[in-house]
Amino acid sequence: MSLEDASLDILPGELLAVVGENGAGKSSLMNVLYGLYQPDAGTFLMDGKPVRLKSPRDAIARGIGMVHQHFMLVPTLTVAENVVLGREPTRRGLLDLNRACAEVAATAKRFGFQLDPRARVDTLTVGSQQKVEIVKALHRGAQVLILDEPTAVLTPQESDELAQVMRGLVAQGRTVVLISHKLKEVLGVADRVAVMRRGRTVAVVRAAETSVSALASLMVGEGSRGAALTGVPATSAPGVHDSQGEHAGTVTAGPIVLEAKDLRAKGDNGRPALQGVSLTVHAGEIVGIAGVDGNGQRELAEVLTGLRALEGGGGTLLGGPLAGLTPTLAKARGVGHVPEDRLARAVVKAMTVEENVALGRHRQPPFARGPWVDFKGRRERATQLLATYDVRPPDPTVALQALSGGNQQKVVVARELDAEPKLLVVVQPTRGLDIGAVAQVHARLREAKARGAGVVMVSLDLEEVLALSDRVYVLYEGRVTGHFPRKDLDERELGRRMLGAESDHG
Amino acid sequence: MGERTRQVLPSVLSVLLALAVCWLIIAFTRDADTATRAYLQMLWGGVGNWPALLDGGSSTTVLRPLGEAAMKAAILTLTGLSVAVAFKVGLFNIGAQGQMIWGALAAALVGAHVALPGLLHVPLALLAAAVAGAAWASIAGVLKLKRGVHEVISTIMLNWVAVSLVDNWLVIGPLRAVAEGHQSSITGTAEILSTAQLPRLLGDSSRLNLGFPLALVAALGVWVWLTRTRAGYETRAVGLTPEAARAAGIPTLARAGGAMALAGALAGLAGAVLVLGTEGRYPGSLGAPYGFDGIAIALIGNNHPLGAAVSAAVFGILRAGGTRMQLLGVHKSFPELIQGFALLFVAGRMVWLAVLRRRREQPTGEQPTGEQPAAEVPAAEVPRA
Repeated sequence: MSLEDASLDILPGELLAVVGENGAGKSSLMNVLYGLYQPDAGTFLMDGKPVRLKSPRDAIARGIGMVHQHFMLVPTLTVAENVVLGREPTRRGLLDLNRACAEVAATAKRFGFQLDPRARVDTLTVGSQQKVEIVKALHRGAQVLILDEPTAVLTPQESDELAQVMRGLVAQGRTVVLISHKLKEVLGVADRVAVMRRGRTVAVVRAAETSVSALASLMVGEGSRGAALTGVPATSAPGVHDSQGEHAGTVTAGPIVLEAKDLRAKGDNGRPALQGVSLTVHAGEIVGIAGVDGNGQRELAEVLTGLRALEGGGGTLLGGPLAGLTPTLAKARGVGHVPEDRLARAVVKAMTVEENVALGRHRQPPFARGPWVDFKGRRERATQLLATYDVRPPDPTVALQALSGGNQQKVVVARELDAEPKLLVVVQPTRGLDIGAVAQVHARLREAKARGAGVVMVSLDLEEVLALSDRVYVLYEGRVTGHFPRKDLDERELGRRMLGAESDHG
Repeated sequence: MGERTRQVLPSVLSVLLALAVCWLIIAFTRDADTATRAYLQMLWGGVGNWPALLDGGSSTTVLRPLGEAAMKAAILTLTGLSVAVAFKVGLFNIGAQGQMIWGALAAALVGAHVALPGLLHVPLALLAAAVAGAAWASIAGVLKLKRGVHEVISTIMLNWVAVSLVDNWLVIGPLRAVAEGHQSSITGTAEILSTAQLPRLLGDSSRLNLGFPLALVAALGVWVWLTRTRAGYETRAVGLTPEAARAAGIPTLARAGGAMALAGALAGLAGAVLVLGTEGRYPGSLGAPYGFDGIAIALIGNNHPLGAAVSAAVFGILRAGGTRMQLLGVHKSFPELIQGFALLFVAGRMVWLAVLRRRREQPTGEQPTGEQPAAEVPAAEVPRA
């Protein structure tokens, strides 16, 4: 899927960090090491001998442990029960809980963790749950411990504590592999840093001999993309060229369709996800929202489509207030939405393709006649759209789930664009699509823009953002840390802002 | 075509398998001959003794059993529809029994205490029953939508509240009929007026009444509503993928609440058909758990309105005929046992299919993205717990 000729040496007793953008192949590489994926080609040597890991069971047997980003714990069981799960000590066929607790307590003590083996996991903080995961791996005899984005869910204090834990493990002779895209953090704790880009390891450097900006440019890979960028014509985007005029008096393509001021909203976990985002979108332009995953992009898209309530701030969207927006209201004003999670948000997979084409516009012609479903009109429109968007198979009566992911996405894009939205909010529109489908979706977004729609495009793929956007806002921890008109687009600077570097004017 | 077969076949096979298993049970406890004759009796008791009729017997030998079967089928259809409609919006209505109790009481009261010509009296009593059932179901609906109370818990508890209020208090207390003259003691509410009785369709020899066509019309109506109207389309979308429905601007709460109220109304109608069609009053205790049977009927009918009607017809026939099994000393509860087994097999078969499909997929090396499988198990219709 996403690994191409990646090489990595892991030395015993070191703390190696693997960094890279989303989709660079970090997690894929680690999943190969942990036996979850099988490499198509290449070799894997342990202590100089070639090894084939067919499953995580093999990996565990050879002393490789992994702590996933999403914990694999049973919340209602105790710490000890979770740690021994799968290899429980028994006494006459029954679980020997006392021995389990004693064993787990011994392991925790040996590595300096403070954990009560009898505490229920769901009563622990996220940081402590992570320690349970680490102890679980160590308890199974892990010599090499892989941590996948371990700080993504932690508070800064917990992250500091984790850094100490990792150093402590290395001091005891264990090897730790840390996957992260938080460069500052990585430099503070790792011995060596491996940089991945597009499925390859492009560099391995000593942490002491590098810097955040050097790593960032390695991650983004300057040069190659700059050329690609200039190769793409900025399809008929008149205006957006006033260099100081990003905040006021911008010469633009059309009237303002969205003016958001100081948006604040909470994420699903209850923590603030948007902390004062202001942005403007005009008709006839594509505005890219760049950022590392989890910095408020998803919440921003949800606020703009009425799916998430605002905690503060406001503005106008297509002539109405942004505060109090509901999905129904957003639809009525002409907001189209291609959400990130297609199966949960955009389609009803058990329904037919034509029923999905009607979804959202099922109350109006040609999909309805009065209170009745207009089967004939719906069939005609669906058939026509399937042909126009080259959906395969072009059969409106099959269940949507029978289509491939790319074709499902084409159905969603077809439906949303067919409604001729005035503002189109797309999130990760090409995630998981093959190259042909990607090109097609991009062409459709340009068409929407040419037709006069304002397009807000959230993407984790910097290349996509650079290729399509007339302007780009960079989000970092729920704030805008950068705002670039097309002619000022500089991916190194963009990358710096995405990683939280301070800006002069954002 | 193939899809439709996939939907129907498991239910048919499950019922047949259940029939076979129960035959074996009788054959083992008695003997094969008794089992076969008991089944024959059950059949004659359900659809009528056609051989006897052809041999020159009276028409009653066919009409009476058919009437009994139709009467039971009508009530089962309505409670089955009640459960199926709630299923469609993703809710599990265990409360058809309680909703039916209130519907029966409302019909009994309107039937006994409102004086109207027959043309208006029956519709009014039916309407009252539907409203009462809908109101009772809406308690669970509101609790679910406003406070997140799981509908399985609330509807089960509301069943007992209904039984306690109606059976254990109202009909033996404030609403109990006053004994007149020759009657020394009576139970239940006052007798309904003749204008409120559901007309018998085949004269006095059969208890077949207007309830049966009414239930069929209800099944057809629910089916048309679900498949042909905007509201039904929205309801199904809410049941299948609530987040996508919300994002599409569908008023998910209104749709879920509406479906729950409709489910209650259908169960209420079942109570009305029981009271206005056969009982003639709210009896001392409603007895037969038609509301709970509705769950089995809906599931065996694959939560399809017409499927529920067919499955109700089958079990109406078996139950009407079940009493005849006693002639051979076989217990009359076998039809219920058959129904239970059929339900078990329908549920088990979904698991079985899923396992089979997984085994078939693995060797071909398809990517487990979870997006490809086109084959659909009806399990997708089961609401999320």
